[in-house]
Order: sequence, then structure tokens, then C-alpha cells
Amino acid sequence: MITDLFIHPTSWFILGALLMPFAKRLGIQKIWLIIVPLVAMATIYRLPDSFGIVNYLGFELQFGRVDKLTFIFLHVFTLMALIGCIFGLQVKETGQHIAAFLYVAGSLGVTLAGDYLTLFIFWELMAFASTFLIWYRKKQRSIEAGYRYLLVHTAGGLVLLAGIFLLYQTGHDLSFGVFSQEGAGWAEYLIMIGFLLNAAAPPIHAWLPDAYPEATVTGAVFMCAFTTKTAVYVLMRGFPGFEVLAIIGACMALYGVGYAVIENDARRILAYHVVSQVGYMVCGVGIGTAMALNGVAAHAYAHIIYKALLFMGAGAVLEMTGRSKLSELGGLYRTMPLTMIFTIIGGIAISGFPLTSGFVSKSMIVAAAGYNHQTILLVMLLLAGVGTFLSVGIKLPYFIWFGKDSGIRAKEAPWNMQLAMAMAAFVCILFGVYPAALYSMLPYAASYQPYYAYHLSETFQLFGFTGLGFYLMVKYLKPHDVSNLDLDWFYRKGSVRFINFAKGPIVSANEWVSNVYKNIGLSMTMALARAFSWFDKEGIDWTIDGSARNIVAGGNSIRQIQTGRIQHYIAAGVIAVVVVLVVVIFS
Amino acid sequence: MIARWIDYLRERANIVRGCFFAFLVFAVLFDFIIDRPKPHFFGDTIIGFWSLFGLLGCLLMIIICKGLSHVWLERKEDPYDN
Repeated sequence: MITDLFIHPTSWFILGALLMPFAKRLGIQKIWLIIVPLVAMATIYRLPDSFGIVNYLGFELQFGRVDKLTFIFLHVFTLMALIGCIFGLQVKETGQHIAAFLYVAGSLGVTLAGDYLTLFIFWELMAFASTFLIWYRKKQRSIEAGYRYLLVHTAGGLVLLAGIFLLYQTGHDLSFGVFSQEGAGWAEYLIMIGFLLNAAAPPIHAWLPDAYPEATVTGAVFMCAFTTKTAVYVLMRGFPGFEVLAIIGACMALYGVGYAVIENDARRILAYHVVSQVGYMVCGVGIGTAMALNGVAAHAYAHIIYKALLFMGAGAVLEMTGRSKLSELGGLYRTMPLTMIFTIIGGIAISGFPLTSGFVSKSMIVAAAGYNHQTILLVMLLLAGVGTFLSVGIKLPYFIWFGKDSGIRAKEAPWNMQLAMAMAAFVCILFGVYPAALYSMLPYAASYQPYYAYHLSETFQLFGFTGLGFYLMVKYLKPHDVSNLDLDWFYRKGSVRFINFAKGPIVSANEWVSNVYKNIGLSMTMALARAFSWFDKEGIDWTIDGSARNIVAGGNSIRQIQTGRIQHYIAAGVIAVVVVLVVVIFS
Repeated sequence: MIARWIDYLRERANIVRGCFFAFLVFAVLFDFIIDRPKPHFFGDTIIGFWSLFGLLGCLLMIIICKGLSHVWLERKEDPYDN
């Protein structure tokens, strides 16, 4: 069991978090931030297929279940933790690093969990730890957004837990396996909803674009990588081939990109774009063929790296200029050219340019939809690709680094941020140039070759003419300082309305009821009590033997004897003594 | 260095624009000469289909999303401030 503990990558991050204050005290916090992810990364290569099985209260908990699908996610999660830690090296607050470590620990724990109870524990650890990555921004808006984030995830966790309970009640053991669409009932769908909330599927997606732009610069880099992709992983494990996921995913891909086109805040654009990209993956899970699932795993890997790269680029700009709204930025190419190049690499990778990771990963899901003759899905995903290039490939870099000169002359980001961006950019290009590096990690047997003439031609045309569309409409796309409503309106306005409703009608109804009670209810109760008392005294006592009345009368006479004056009592005492003496002497 | 290079290109915007349009022409011409795999749907059989798809998709997306934002979704101030 002890050896099991040390091969579990999660325990390294938990240990790393616990010892972080000591590392800071010893002045080795920065080294500690690099060592822990590296050690965790080294352990994932030597994991046995199954480990950490514990019997607890009659449940069999399995902390480690490893196969190729687990491995690719562990690989990208630990790599991302390393890149994120390098990006955040200059952050002095130990608490923020502890939160990030625990968050990663939760994510790795979910990935390795072989049963639903273990999964649930780490699932909640992720939600709880990541909330602090929002709160550490320490602005009023962040604190509020953090509370909303926590509440939404708590609700999602409860739905998941309800599903787990129902599953157990129907005689299923709690091992985390594959569900079949035919036999799925309430339990399975509740679990799926719990997972989909973390995958940010509309209509339960609004927590993501609400919270991520309010997180700390480093926090957002971590958050964009782990929560949604852990959700994709568990959906892949539990629900491959569920048709409803294919439809939800394709809708997500378009929904997210639609908002990315109209939003103004750079990190909110990227957050909406997470919804869109995760949509591709959810759609691939729904298609469910070996090729689609390979595509999901590949896309999750590629996406984590380039989305983090984009969040790092926008975060570096926020760190150096204090701004993230496109309407307040522009012309930054003069002073932050390296950040620009890295971000543009992220932008073209997410769009799926040839020689970047997006080209070799996203196209697998699209091709799987094609091979399955799901034409509508295919067209929706390709349209989302057009929107991706428009919003993140062109609009975002254009209005930050070019566009109207904002006059900001910010310095280039610090070396550690640039190093982290360079590492991510390198991975984006490596997979594009040498796809085998990614494909060799894929879990299922399905061969796919991304570089063929028709795919290249399709890509050239799509991007060329999307660029033309941007060129024609660039005036119309100029960012304005506005925010757009989304479905969080229902709970954000809804809660205000509920409070107003509580303050207004409910409070006055409450007052009215208590007035009625005071005036009518209370006097009626008193009258009734008096009537009963009279009946008790006059009726019942008379019927029995009048003893109560006699006792009351006797008590009254005794009361009259007791005058309460001390001289009377002394006199009575003296008289009694005299009487006793007379009796004793004369008898 | 990079900034100066970009300034150099910005001063010659016409050449950059020319290159971009030349690329568009190349993209369409390239579609004429390539081998087409077994089509997944009718779009795969039409030469230049993805050019039209890219352009119209981009324009429609801008018009619909910006339009929806303009008439319905956008708020000048934070709609949730008290």
C-alpha cells in the first residue's frame, strides 16, 4: 500500500502542495514548482495496470486503473502542469501554487480512478481547489465569480452523486466502466449531466466564460486545461457512442464560437472558445468509432497545449498592461513581439493550419463524422472551424497586436512566461510536423493520415476565404466595450429576483399571517384556554369529588395565617415552646 | 528586430495584400489539380466548394452573431451591477 501511494502521481502533487510553505521558507519555492511536476511526469511511465485497491466500508475503491487512454491524458496533464508552473514562477503567493497543485492532483486522481467514489472525491477536490485560483485575483468581481463557480460546481457534483447513488441502488457495483446507450436510465443520464456540466455544455456552460476571465493570470492557464478535459476523459470512459453527445457537441462547437466572435475581453473570447473546442471532443465521443475516439484523445492533447498557450499570451498581455479588453489594446507588436509570435502560433494551431497540431488532431474527429456519413455534424464542425479561425486565429491577435494603436508601450513578458509559451508553441509545431509523436500515444487501433492533397486544399480554401471575409468586414468587427448576456442571466438575475421576491411579497405575506394570528388566532386561543380552564375547575372537579376545590380553599386559609411578619412567627414559636413545657412538666 | 520587420511590411501594405490575393487564387487553382478521395457528401465533389463555404460561413457568422449581439445580447454597462 505504501509503494502504491508513491507511484500514484496525485500523491506527488498533494505532497508538493503540503510542503510548499516549507519550500518557500527554505527559499526553494521556484525549484519545488519545477521538481514536483517532473517527478510526477516520471512516475506515469512506470504505472502498473491496476494499483491502490482499498476496501472501505464494504466498497472496493480503486485509486489506479491504467491503460493507453489513461496514459495519454496523464501525459498531457503532467506536461501541462509543468508548463503552467514555469509560467507562474514569478507568482509569490504560496496559496496560489498550493491551489494549482491540488487542482492538478484532483484531475490526475479522476483520470486514474477506477470506481465512482474515488472519482467523486477527486472531482470535488478539483472544483474546490480551482475556486481559489479565481479568488486569488482578489478583485470584487473575482470573488463574486468564484462563489458562482463554486455553487454551480457544487450543484453539478450533487447531480453526479445522485446518479452514483441511483446506480448503486439498481444493483450496479460502483466500478467506473462503459455504459451502453440501450440500457441507460436515470442513473446513467444523471452521471452524464454531472460530467457535461464540467465539460461546459450549453445550457450548463455559463460558469466557464463567467469564471475564467476573472481568474488570476496563472490560474486561468491551469483552469483552461484541466476541468473540461477531465470531463472529456470521463465521458470517453463512460459514454462513448451516445448519440445525444454527438448532437450536443456539434451545438457546443457553434455556440462557443458564436460568442467568441462578438466578445470583447481577450480571455473571455478564449473561454468561449474552450466551449467550442470541447464541443468537437464531446461530438467525437458521441460518434464513438475508434477513429473518432482517437481523434478526441488527440484533440484533447493538442487543445490543452494550444489553448493554454493562448491563455498564456493573453495573460502575459494582462500581466504587463493590466488590460485584457480588445477595445483598450492594439499596436502591441512594437513592444511585445515574442508574445505575439507565440500567441499567433497558438491561434493558427487552434484553427488547424497545416504543420500545426490542430491540423492533425481536429481533422480526425471531422473525418470520423464523414466516414460515419453524419453530414450535418460534418458541416457544423467545419463551420465552427471557420469561426475559430475568424475569432481566435485572426480577430484576437489582430486587435491586440495590430489594429488601432492604443499607445501602450508595455515591456515584453518575463523570461519564465516566455519560456512556458515557447515550450507550448514547440509542442504545437512538433505534432504538426511529426504527427507520429502524438499518434503513437493514441488508445485505439485506427490509422489516420492527415497530410493528403484534398485535406490541404480544403484547408487552404477555408482559411484563405475566411481571411477574405475578415478583410471585408474588419470595420464591422471593431471591438466595443460591451458585455453580452448569456444563460447565466437566469441564475444571476434569477437570484436577484428571488431575493426581491423574498423581500417584497414573501415578507409582507409573512407579516400579514402573523398579524392575523396575533389578532384572531391568539385571542381565540386565549378564550379557548379560559373555557377549558373553567370546564376543568367547575365541571370535572365537581363531577369527581371536589378535592381540587377543597385543596385550593385549604391553601387559601393557610396563606391567610402566614402573615409574613417575623414578630408573629416568634410569638407563635414562644407559645409553642410554652405549651410543650406545660405538657412535659404537668403530665 | 521583429517589430522593425513588421513596420517594413506595414509600409508596403499593397504588396502584402497582393500576396494574400495571390494565395486565394492559388487555393482555388490548387483545388482543380488534386486527386479527390471518395466524397463524404455533395460538397466534396464541387471544385472550389470550400472557398465558398469559408467566405459565406465567415460573412454569415459575423452578420448573425454581431446582429444578435447588437439587437439583443449586448449591454453597455455590466448588466449584473446593482
